[in-house]
Amino acid sequence: MRLSPAAARWLIVAILILLWEALPRLGLVAELFLPPLSSTIAAAVADWREYAAALLVTLYEVALAMVIACGGGILAGAAVGGFALTRNLLLPIFSTLYAVPIVILYPVLTAWLGIGSESKIAFAGVYGFFPTMLGTAAGIRTIDPQLLLAARSMGASFPQRLARVIIPASIPTVLAGLRLGGALVIIGVVVSEMLTSTAGIGYLVTRYRTILDSTHVFASVLLIILLTVAFNALVRAVERRTVIWQTAGRRGAGGGAEMTPAAVVPASA
Amino acid sequence: MSRIGLVLARSAVVAAFLAAWEVLPRIGAVNARLLPPLSTTAAMLVDILGRPATTGDLLTTIGEILVAFALAVPVGAAIGMLVAENDYAGRVLKPLFFFVLSIPKSIFLPLMILALGIGFWQKVAFGIFSTIFILIMGATAAVESVRADHLLVARACGAGRLQTVARVYVPSMLPVLLETLRIAMIFNFTGVILAEMYASRTGIGHLIANWGEDFMMPQLYASVLLVALLAIACNETIRWLETRLSAWRA
Amino acid sequence: MASVTALRERGSVEVQDVSHVYAGPGGEVPALAGISLAVAPGRFVVVVGPSGCGKSSLLMMMAGLRRPMAGTVLCDGRPILDPDPDRVGVVFQDASLFPWLTAADNVEFPLAIRRLPREERRRRAAEMLRLVGLEGFDGRYPHELSGGMKQRVSIARGLVQDPPVLLMDEPFAALDEQTRMTMGQELLRIWSQTKKTVVFVTHSLTEAVYLADEVLVMSPRPGRIIDRIEVALARPRTYEMMASDAFGRLRDRIWRQIRSAA
Repeated sequence: MRLSPAAARWLIVAILILLWEALPRLGLVAELFLPPLSSTIAAAVADWREYAAALLVTLYEVALAMVIACGGGILAGAAVGGFALTRNLLLPIFSTLYAVPIVILYPVLTAWLGIGSESKIAFAGVYGFFPTMLGTAAGIRTIDPQLLLAARSMGASFPQRLARVIIPASIPTVLAGLRLGGALVIIGVVVSEMLTSTAGIGYLVTRYRTILDSTHVFASVLLIILLTVAFNALVRAVERRTVIWQTAGRRGAGGGAEMTPAAVVPASA
Repeated sequence: MSRIGLVLARSAVVAAFLAAWEVLPRIGAVNARLLPPLSTTAAMLVDILGRPATTGDLLTTIGEILVAFALAVPVGAAIGMLVAENDYAGRVLKPLFFFVLSIPKSIFLPLMILALGIGFWQKVAFGIFSTIFILIMGATAAVESVRADHLLVARACGAGRLQTVARVYVPSMLPVLLETLRIAMIFNFTGVILAEMYASRTGIGHLIANWGEDFMMPQLYASVLLVALLAIACNETIRWLETRLSAWRA
Repeated sequence: MASVTALRERGSVEVQDVSHVYAGPGGEVPALAGISLAVAPGRFVVVVGPSGCGKSSLLMMMAGLRRPMAGTVLCDGRPILDPDPDRVGVVFQDASLFPWLTAADNVEFPLAIRRLPREERRRRAAEMLRLVGLEGFDGRYPHELSGGMKQRVSIARGLVQDPPVLLMDEPFAALDEQTRMTMGQELLRIWSQTKKTVVFVTHSLTEAVYLADEVLVMSPRPGRIIDRIEVALARPRTYEMMASDAFGRLRDRIWRQIRSAA
């Protein structure tokens, strides 16, 4: 009797949660290394005010960084990708730069902007900007030019073509950009908070680690995981609402859930 | 625009960037203490490369990167191929792998530090962790990219199991595998550097973090430039290999 | 009408009361129901039928790529249960050339599997490419070849081990009409030079009458042979024949058979 893949996944998660609780309690794993899940949750609940404040700081940074990364990235991607000249000129340069770990720029940013929220926003913004731009530039090209041709032949003016063809056909690309940029921004904010910071969830991870308070470290980690899950769920909900536009007006295989590594363009941190 | 025209134009863009780096601090448009001119940085780069301490750290970093890769690639590839062979396993596990890719892997650094301390092996472990999921997914994609009709032809020509693997699977999978290796190396590189920046007593990442904290800007920029050049060199080498071995992928 | 008695000669193909059933998502699907046929050596037989009638499955069984649930398939009088490129060469609808190999290397592939020495492989591949009209294209890669050329390479590969029987599963279906006609003529030329037994599957009634000595008409699923039509047109076949009354009558007969069985 085979479980559905979704059910099997939930089973795996359930087993992991069980192990998280059982292994330390049974003494099979040192509590310093892996505190029981119940203690972790208890610590989060007990110090909820501290965690809430930290979460607010982190979310604030994520929001502003998303404006840079997603807003800027999508617009830049559309501009660069939409014209053959800029595309052929700039994309190879960015593709080469993709290999460089952006995290090495973080100390430069803290030197310029201090260790407060500004440097995190700047870092996460830059971190999310380039992949989003590259992704949007690629996505722009999948909009079917035949549609524009058809609209023009029917006498549509440029504003009409913009509103009725270009914008709706761009929605899947824009959503993909938001999803990618958002995920990267969260990663960028967390990493920078962990490295050098005075506030935020990542900062709590580092602070508690240095005093070897595993329970609180894991509580922070758990919150970060929950944040990521919440973001993924939000994006998926939006995508489901706009599913009609997903395959409409695209050239080639629709949506494109191709899982080769290059197509994924995910975060390196 | 012709190909040569494009190459020249791109070089011009890069040159303009480098020129700005040199000129703007010198004319005071940018605070030279915060951003020393390119020439100062380059000179400092030569200087630090001459110091045994730096070269020692550089070798440590390179060592960690290579060891992590050497361990991660066979394991990741093997798991990926096993997942591809089993359709059910694939459908169960792939969304999980995707999810892991979207969480900040850096949150597992404290875990590894608690388990392995802050030495060589902790950084290797984090490098492996950073790269293995991409390797698994890439290996799976590589196996799935082998066309069923090619396998049918091999069978019709009387090929045995081993012959099919050597003559059809391997050449088919090579382009995807090489691309996977290239991207996996990027992830590996980033993971090791991040671990060094976070908590380490050795390695280039540690130097970068330290110089940043101490506001030693010329040294900071020099080491950032060094890592950037290293990363690009590594990436372009693998990319060149990719192009040479995938010439047929027109 | 070819008789259905056992033929033990080299290059004969015989199907004895073959039935086959597929396990589908909604239960079992009968694919073939008691097919029997015999092809004498050197004949060009075309199997025609509606989509899903099982003609491709039948060909797979003749190639040893699939085993029937019931009945036997014989080649040269011996059962064929696994692929045997010495006895049977196969050409698929998609040329399925390996993109990382040159045309010559693709043609050599069955010989490389058999571990023949390099010199021998080269020689035979060159000979085959010459036969299919692609002399000088040895070093080209598939992406440099047109659809028609790719199929020629595929045919060369099917013939390189000099099997007495050549099976072809809608080999020209993916080509444009003009290329199809050219390829049809080329195939007949190659056939008359090599004297192989050919079993050719197609959708196209025109192609069937043009190429065949005998046309076997299959019913819709589960496939049975509902008619055997001798094509008595003179050889070599020409384009002009396609406009003749005899040609038209044969094609009509096939079409009526298929329609009435539907």
